[in-house]
Amino acid sequence: MAEAGEMLGGEYVFDTQYLKTLATGLEEAMHRVVYHLQAITGRRNQDLFDTVWVIAGEIQAAIESRLVVPKGDLVIPIDRIDQELAEAVGDKMARLGEIKKHLGCRVPDGFVVSAYACQQFLEGVGIDPTSPDNPTETLRELRRRVRDAPLPKELARDIRQGLKALDRSGGCDLLAIRSSALGEDGQTSFAGLYETVLGVAPENALHAYKRVVASLYSDNVVAYRRRRGLPPIQGLMPVGFLKMIPAHAGGVAYSLDPTRPEMDVIVVSASRGLGKTVVEGSAPVDTFEVSRQPPHEVTARRIANKEAAYVADLEMGLHRVLIAEAERRSPAITDEQIAKMAAATLMIERYMKRAQDIEWTVDDEGRLHILQVRPLPLPASERPVGRMIQNAASQYPILLDRQGAVACRGIGFGRVHVVDDHGPTEPPPRAVLVARTSTPRLAASLAEASAVITDVGTATGHLAAIAREFRVPTIVDAGDATRVLETGWEVTVDAEENVVYRGRVDELLRFRLMQQSTFEERLEFRLLRRILHRIAPLNLVDPESPGFTAANCTTYHDIIRFAHEEAVRELISGRWVRTPRGESAVRRLILEIPLDLVLIDLGDGLRQGLGTRDAEVDDIECAPLRALLQGLLSEGAWATDPADMDLEGFMASATRAGALTGPLATRPEQNLAILSDEYLHLNLKLGYHFNIVDCYLADQRNHNYIYFRFAGGVTEITRRSRRAVVLRRILEKFDFVTEGSGDLVIGRIKKISRDEMVDRLQMVGRLIGFTRQLDILLRDDALVDRSVNLFLQKVYDESGK
Amino acid sequence: MSQQGEVLVLDDEPIVCERLMHHLEKHDFSVETFTESPKAIDRLAEKTFDVVVTDLKMRGPTGLEILHYVRDHQPGTQVIIITGFASIDSMREAEYGGVFEFVPKPFQMERLTSLVKKASRKARKEHPKERA
Repeated sequence: MAEAGEMLGGEYVFDTQYLKTLATGLEEAMHRVVYHLQAITGRRNQDLFDTVWVIAGEIQAAIESRLVVPKGDLVIPIDRIDQELAEAVGDKMARLGEIKKHLGCRVPDGFVVSAYACQQFLEGVGIDPTSPDNPTETLRELRRRVRDAPLPKELARDIRQGLKALDRSGGCDLLAIRSSALGEDGQTSFAGLYETVLGVAPENALHAYKRVVASLYSDNVVAYRRRRGLPPIQGLMPVGFLKMIPAHAGGVAYSLDPTRPEMDVIVVSASRGLGKTVVEGSAPVDTFEVSRQPPHEVTARRIANKEAAYVADLEMGLHRVLIAEAERRSPAITDEQIAKMAAATLMIERYMKRAQDIEWTVDDEGRLHILQVRPLPLPASERPVGRMIQNAASQYPILLDRQGAVACRGIGFGRVHVVDDHGPTEPPPRAVLVARTSTPRLAASLAEASAVITDVGTATGHLAAIAREFRVPTIVDAGDATRVLETGWEVTVDAEENVVYRGRVDELLRFRLMQQSTFEERLEFRLLRRILHRIAPLNLVDPESPGFTAANCTTYHDIIRFAHEEAVRELISGRWVRTPRGESAVRRLILEIPLDLVLIDLGDGLRQGLGTRDAEVDDIECAPLRALLQGLLSEGAWATDPADMDLEGFMASATRAGALTGPLATRPEQNLAILSDEYLHLNLKLGYHFNIVDCYLADQRNHNYIYFRFAGGVTEITRRSRRAVVLRRILEKFDFVTEGSGDLVIGRIKKISRDEMVDRLQMVGRLIGFTRQLDILLRDDALVDRSVNLFLQKVYDESGK
Repeated sequence: MSQQGEVLVLDDEPIVCERLMHHLEKHDFSVETFTESPKAIDRLAEKTFDVVVTDLKMRGPTGLEILHYVRDHQPGTQVIIITGFASIDSMREAEYGGVFEFVPKPFQMERLTSLVKKASRKARKEHPKERA
């Protein structure tokens, strides 16, 4: 799962085949998990097979058919839409939802009638939208058939409900009904070929919907499809129903001048009233050239003689009005509005990672609304070629060269802002954020950043996942970025080559803006994101809650979590494990610390003749458990009083914060040891973290090993990640080989002598006690070193080394 | 002509072609991409490339056949095979056929770029005259 998440960063090249292999591999693994769970629990939770089957089916369907029609809602409100829904709502509406959701742009309220709804409608009319047949009737007849057909009842009802919900939120009563066709290959542009109807009164909305759907079969579209070698009448049309904004002015902004991309200007065209005049090019409009650098001054302007404007109101619908003579030669919008628009345009461009074509409107109160966003096609001949980039880049001092790993590809420019949790200032927008680790403040400022660089971290970690969500170019594990880079420096971050330059490398930035498509827009990346949605989210968190059931598992992650918990419960219950005499092999261990540990003896792990009573420490014959308990029970290892741990000052503050209560108490029946004389499998859940120790201890050193696994916790990811660092450093001191990402730590050691094993297991015992509270304590990075040293100190004192 | 070299990329998955093209062009390679192997072979008959990056499994001639074609007709050209299914047999055959490198998918862009650079240098050493 973590690997698949990392793929989203764009650093790897993968293809559909990879997705298929991933899906099959996971499905097999999930079947094994459920099968084994059945074996343990005796056929309870049979439903889990169905759950796996359903999830696997959805994943397969997503991968196999390129034009997937996601079944589901007929009508989807704009607030629920983002890029992941592109197959349901079409690219145009998906982008609009995306910029609202992720960038907070003001977009018109409304909803989308989905591709699924369109399919239902067309099939009702007798058209198979997935069939590549040539039409037997003329296109005109086909269009009429669509326009004249009644909508399916359910659809008409859902649209009416959607319209009602809009009414309640106030504003203008007219609608824009916009085509949002599915680009089959994610590349083909049908810009302007489909119909959009403006100024539609709600009672006419159903009719307008049919008109827009019918434009799938317009002469132009079909001719275009034929030229591109696409089946002529295939395709579906999701349609946006958006409230019209009472427009004072409207128009288009290009984030770069397509005819002169090297000029580094934004081009804004504006008309009075609706932007229709600009989009159609039907009359002269104002044009402005605006600097891409803040404060976005207008560098050139051409004010047209604007005689008329399009407006829409309830009485007259969409119509033209004459502009008063005196106002015709004044600019349609103010310089202040232009500057705001420029800032919004660049924000959207940064997020989309290439040049953008944005349709906007300014309402009567002067507020900017974004109506449409799409990539701006730029002539490839204007694109800087490799040599220009290499030459240009070599002119600039290189600050960091291939240090660390790329977590999200892209190129960013901005001023460095070194983030630390104690610093007084919030980072300015468009900064290049530089931090030691992934502090919470970093995650909070990330959406506005041009790029992110951290000294430590992994491409599979939490911060990397957020960076990918916001598409921010990110380099992690760069070592000493916080030392090399100073707040205020202008830098260009090339998170494709993993190089950071001092200054602004224009050719590199322009190359980025002029790329044909970004990796995030590719079908494979969208598929992977969708697949991960069915795999990775964890909904079943608390095993004590009544919702922790097989029926509530909706992702693979849920199933794994549930199966784990069920299996442990079942083992502990004792139903499953019997001694040869038919007695339960399960008993409790009496300990002086509040660790409720249940033992399952596979043979010779406990003294003979215990009968049914609980075991005491002296009854244990299992060599690895004895050693581990020696460590865990040694003085001060299971600290209940923080002061015992010598962590003085910062311990006290943690206690004051009340952070030590609650989650640290162990719940009953959560900790399990499976043992024999030489083997131990320990499964602990202390507070909210999971700890597994699996080991074998005998005289023959070749067979000896310890596997230590630790994950989870109650605090936020940063502290848990710090704890992971502490654990790895300690384990490595004791010769463990370690790996992990985020809060997960795995340590392994093998082929060591009996004495060395005992020594390591005592240490592990201490470590279990020590880590109980660690994540809560690790408030900042400096405490990492102190914690490691403190632990080592204790161990060395104890052993007299 | 580009400074770093001329590369032909062949993969039936367009995403691989496009991403490699974008990246290699940034590194000053000139790149031609193909998603069908017969068309790539037609092009190889017309023009000598420094490096050929090809998928292994494709409809029509496979990556190994491309490798053999290049070996027979453009001895200096280096071939890199990328694949999601690397069987020992195909690797051995590619090795025997003189493949420059065998790269399993998914791969890191950086890794492939540095391989293409090395392969291109080698190619230019081996057939400098043809190119002059």
